[in-house]
Amino acid sequence: MFHAKIIDIKKEKIEVDKAEKFISSSKFGASLIFRGTVRETNENKKVIGITYDSHDAMVIKSFEEIYNEVDQKLKIKKKAVYIEHVKGYLGLGEISIIIAVACPHRAETYILSRYIIEEIKKRSPIWKKEHYENEESEWLKGNPIQAN
Amino acid sequence: MKVKLELFGASRDLSDKDFLEFNIEKKISIKDLKKKIINYVDEKFKGNENFKKIIETSAFCSEDNNIISENYKITKDQKIGIIPPIGGG
Repeated sequence: MFHAKIIDIKKEKIEVDKAEKFISSSKFGASLIFRGTVRETNENKKVIGITYDSHDAMVIKSFEEIYNEVDQKLKIKKKAVYIEHVKGYLGLGEISIIIAVACPHRAETYILSRYIIEEIKKRSPIWKKEHYENEESEWLKGNPIQAN
Repeated sequence: MKVKLELFGASRDLSDKDFLEFNIEKKISIKDLKKKIINYVDEKFKGNENFKKIIETSAFCSEDNNIISENYKITKDQKIGIIPPIGGG
């Protein structure tokens, strides 16, 4: 079971309830919901919000690739995975990403959830522009993507 | 032919629009397209070093959403996406 979506925050909300409902099943004995939220400081600067930008098609493709490789790489076959990432402006404390996973046992849910977020950071074309108290803003330095 | 360069992340600061357009006489590699973008920065932004660094560290993607190498040849009107260093979550 897999769900992946980019949420354009101008048009819709990102909702934890939907994630919880999606992964809920008596087939699974363990579930985890990871939420990424906007933090008030970064590198000693007071942050007031973040604008997220996304190459939507490539992001969804990267989410699918990450999901599909889990069988082989992590040997986790039975699972439910729900990933949503926001694009647009978010204020402090608002949710930028939800990764909800469910598996038969707890150890694999922790491994799976952590694997997904770390791979997204490395592979999914999403960018952050931080906005600061002094009205300045800055695109954050990220990790270059390499061509295969 | 026309190459429409779709802008994402930090490269959005290169234009008020979501894209840049380049008129190109013959087929061109991504490596050479990069040079054209840097020339654009030289002309429009007085060689802004931050912008040049963004271009130099960016990957590029094709219309079918694959990351393409510097040797990839553009031979017809095409959209190309510029993918600056990433960092979501």
